[in-house]
Formats: sequence, structure tokens, C-alpha cells
Amino acid sequence: MLSRWCLSGVLLVAAACAPAPAHTKVTPPGTASAAQVPHALVVDFRDGTPVEEVAERARRWGVPLHFNSIEGLRSGIAIADGVDDVQGALDRIRGDADVEEAEPLVQVEALAFTPNDPEFPKQWNFRMIRMPEAWELSHGQGVTVAVIDTGIAYEDHGDFVQVPDLAGARFVPGYDFVHDTDHPNDDHGHGTHVAGTIAERTDNGIGVAGVAFEARLMPIKVLDRSGIGNSADIADAIRWAVDHGAKVLNLSLGGPAYSGVMERAVAYARSKGAVVVCAAGNTGMGQVAYPAAYAGAVGVGAVGPDGQLAPYSSYGEALDIVAPGGNTRLGPGNGILQATIERGDYRKPVLAEYQGTSMATPHVAGVAALLFAAGAKTPDEVERALFAGAVSEGGSWTPRAGHGRLDALGALKALGQTPGTVDYAPLLWSAVLLALLLLSLKTKARPGYLNVLLNPATLLPLLLSTVGLWFLKLLWQRFIGHPPPAAEALSLPLPDWERIVFGRGRLASPVMYSALVPAVAALFAVKWRGLRPVVAGLSLGFAGFLLYAAWAKAPGLAYLPFTFLARPWLVLNGFLSALLCRAMLRRESRR
Amino acid sequence: MKIRGTVEFRDVEMGVWVLAGDDGKTYQIAGGRSSLLKEGQRVEIEGDVDADAAGIAMVGPVLRVRSYKVI
Repeated sequence: MLSRWCLSGVLLVAAACAPAPAHTKVTPPGTASAAQVPHALVVDFRDGTPVEEVAERARRWGVPLHFNSIEGLRSGIAIADGVDDVQGALDRIRGDADVEEAEPLVQVEALAFTPNDPEFPKQWNFRMIRMPEAWELSHGQGVTVAVIDTGIAYEDHGDFVQVPDLAGARFVPGYDFVHDTDHPNDDHGHGTHVAGTIAERTDNGIGVAGVAFEARLMPIKVLDRSGIGNSADIADAIRWAVDHGAKVLNLSLGGPAYSGVMERAVAYARSKGAVVVCAAGNTGMGQVAYPAAYAGAVGVGAVGPDGQLAPYSSYGEALDIVAPGGNTRLGPGNGILQATIERGDYRKPVLAEYQGTSMATPHVAGVAALLFAAGAKTPDEVERALFAGAVSEGGSWTPRAGHGRLDALGALKALGQTPGTVDYAPLLWSAVLLALLLLSLKTKARPGYLNVLLNPATLLPLLLSTVGLWFLKLLWQRFIGHPPPAAEALSLPLPDWERIVFGRGRLASPVMYSALVPAVAALFAVKWRGLRPVVAGLSLGFAGFLLYAAWAKAPGLAYLPFTFLARPWLVLNGFLSALLCRAMLRRESRR
Repeated sequence: MKIRGTVEFRDVEMGVWVLAGDDGKTYQIAGGRSSLLKEGQRVEIEGDVDADAAGIAMVGPVLRVRSYKVI
């Protein structure tokens, strides 16, 4: 018994002490590199070194040093350019007691994806929310976004034509609640414009780009050719979309009247795991329209290219976030450009520039799709990341900006990083799974439920693989200070540890989201029986985590060729892990 | 009901005609002939406010026009 506990302890300590991988690639100082900026260097002074001291040394060394940014006063980072002999200057500087580090300045190219769509340079809105950088992390692969609007020009059908820049975009079947048909084509132009911002075909050499261009669009028509609809159709559409697999709902529509029917539909969508993104309204006044104002909906206001709230945008208590919606008062080119159909002639595709909170909303819906694709499992998680990643003055909520201005890259980086938030669902799934596994064993071979669950040798690896030892990080922060990378890693569920290496916000790896880790651990347990409770906990945790991920429709796994393979993969590996756990439990009870 | 006000064009979404009502509210005009829709025209509209309507314009309640007269 003792040896078993010792072994499991050793395993945990070994895991905690494993060398943490470096977060960033660092060019060692002094090495010649093509990326070095000629005649420039960077000096890191002791934190808090006053400006005068820096100026005095700059004179002494003959190097024109200045603080790199407003942060310099705190961080002590100063740079200099126009230095003839960089190596000589560095030799002089490095001897100084107040200098922590001195090295040549290195050019770091921000990783960014620039699509080849010819009109992309006119999409200031995408640069504002840092899409090129965000596209390095996620394209919204496999997530279904319902566009509940005037329809989408998505197919050639009767008189209707597909907008060329939507050719090749991914669509799932939708519905026309106005005419009660299966062909929700757009006879207006609004819905197509909105859908384009979400998932226009991108990098295809035509027109413009879309935020989540590998997401699937679900066209749903609830508004007639004058752009007006009623609350019954909209409420029906919300429920229909969620029941048919939509994870993100875009409602670039609204009205001033409260509707209990629509409010319940929004609550239903959220309870089914979908994010409901709605336009705040275009009154320019301090009252957000419905459905944006319902609890459970994300209310989106609009800003112009100057980042200021657009004059037409509604704002107020129910505002959650602002996104680019354009401000044409600043002149042409300041609206939101997208491919759509001509108003009044739905057979004619055009590129059109519009402004409105309707145009701001699909930016947020698109980023929500990126977040789901990058591993977010619940609407709560998506919203936390959206708000935490938003750019705000002062970092707090205001009625005119909500939680701030949408930032796609910021949101992806914030995913799963907001403190104090733990998703307990995988742990719950594991606990239920354990009961089922035990019931599947014969009475003689079956250990007691609580005996298994409350055995620290089982419980710790179970926690580690489902919710992570997040309390370690919190305790460290509380009593010691900045947590080391090992504590950072342990605070994530084990299957997500690769994100410590490759960065958060990327698609999860099917290698880690598999039964591989528990299977390897089980190999060791063949020889060392003391490991069995540990492996049982580990594999139980993986089983709960993977099956929950499958149930939550965690849509994308990196490297898998087709997104539809992701869920079968998760289910298969979840069951394999469960079988491993069952084997570990049974063998132990035989002793 | 009858509402007096000024007809205005608002450049939001794909463009929308509103009635800036003398009661201080802004109504989205639905229906009515093109002769109604003239910037700055003072009118009295007889129609119904559609409390159930929602749409892309989001500028105020939808006013379904039955008839109107220029004042």
C-alpha cells in the first residue's frame, strides 16, 4: 500500500518538475542573424532605473539610448539606433552593474496571414480587430454559424443567383420562415452582406475576406424583402438553428418591443450551448434593442475606423462589446465593404459598403466561431474570451463600449486564461462514468465507488486530466508570486498541456486528445502494480474529458483531414480510455 | 392612430426612411407610396405601430402606413 502511494507521489512530483518548454524562440545575443536590425541594440536596465541614469550612461558609452516605450520607465528596456560598432558598444555596456541584458536589436516578424482577395486592403475593419494575426490561430473550422436575417444569396435557384465570392464557402441546410420553404435565398441584400463578413470565401482571389472562413453558414430567412419580420418567426428560427447544430447565432436585427417568447428562445439557445450575438440597434440613444438586450445575448454596438462609438449606434446597460460597424460620415471607404446582391435586384451581385450595428455584429459572431474552433466548449467560455480579449480603456465595462472593442487575436489568446474559471463538466462526466464502469464489473471484482474516487492516488491524476490542478497556480500567486511554467501547466487539464508549448487558441492536437497518454501509463502499470490506481484515475479523467469534448461538439482538431472525423476520434478514444480504466480497476480488486 | 412629424432618410444599414415624430419618437416607415418618402417633408401619417415587428433598421418602432397627408 505504502509503496503504491510513494510511486504515485513520485510520478506527480516528476510531472511537476519536468522542464518547462520555452514560450518563445529567442535568438542568443551576439549570434549573427539575418533578422538583426543593423546598427541597433537593446539594453535591459535594472527595473526602475531612472531616466537620468540612463541618459548619463548613454553619454558615457556614446550610444543614443532612449526608452523603448512608455513601459520603459517600469521595465527598464531602452533601445538605440545609428550605432556604428554594435559589438564594441555591447562590450562596453555589458560590464555595467545596472544592466541586466544587452544585445543586438532583432526584427520579429509578427505571424500574420494576408489573404489574396483583391479588395482586402479596403477592409480596415479586419485590421482593426487583428484578423491577419488571428488567422494564424483559427479559421473557424467546423463551427456552424446561423445567419438569421433576410436570407443568403448562397445558391443558384430559380431567379436567385449565388454571389461569386460565396462560391466554395461552406453551407449547411437552412430554412425560410417567411415563405416556409427550404430555400432561404436573399431577396434583400442585408443577410448576404452579414454572412459575407462571417464566412466569405477568403484567399480565393475574388472580392473581400470573411472572419471565420472555414466555418459553415446556415442561412435562415426571417425578414421579408423590406427587412422586417416578427417575433414569432425569429423565436422559431433561433430554436430551429440550435436544434440543427448551430453553435453561433447571428441576429443583425432588432426592435424596441420586449417579447417573452423571443427571450425564452434566446435562453434555450444558450442552454443548448450556442452563443447568441445580436445588434445593439441604430437609434444612437442609450437603450439597446431586443433581442440584444435579453440576458444570454451578446449585444454588439458599432465603432467607426477611429475606434469611437458610431453616431448611429445604440448603447447602454445591455451593451456587451463594440465592433467595427463603419462611420460613413467620415467619408467614403469608412463603411463595411462586403459582397452582396443589389438592393431591388437580387440577381445582381455587387460589392457594397454599409454601416450599422448589423455590420458590427457578424464580426463578433465570426470571432465566436474562431473561439469554438479553437477549443472553447461553452458559450460562457466564448463570451469570457471575447470580453477579456477586447481592447478597453481602463479595463472595465462602460455603457458606451461594453467590455471594449472586439479583438480577434486578444480573444483567442484570452481563451481559457481568465482566472478563477474552471469547467467542471469533464470531472462530472468522469464521476458518472466511474459509476457505470464499476457497475459493469462483477461484484467480486468491483471496488467501492468512494474507495476508488477518494483514493488520493486516483483522485489527483483524475483532477489533473479533467480540470487541472488550478489551485496550485492560485496558491502560488497568493503566497509566492508569479507562478513558474510548471505551475502554469499543471493548472490546465492534461490534454491541453500542449497549449503551453504551441500557444493557446490553436486547434487541439489529436495526439493529446486521445487515449495515448493513459495507454502509455498503463504499459508501466503492467510491471509496477502500484501504479494502477494512478493510471485508473488518469484514464478515467481522459475518458471523461474526451467524451465531454465530443458531446460539447468540440469541433476542430488540428491535423485531422476532415472536421467530421474529430468527433468519432474523440468518442473512440474516450471509450478506449474508459476500457483502460476498467481494466485497471478490475485487476486491482483481484489482488 | 395618427402621427405628425418630418420624413427623414437615415443612412444606416441599407438606408431607411423614418418619421421623426412630433411626439419625440422616431418611427421606421413601412409601406406608403414613394411620394411620401421625401427628405424633410412634413406629414401626418395614419397607420399602426407594429409592436411585434423586428428588423434590420433598428431605428425605432415600425409604423405601418395606411394613409398620409402632407401638412
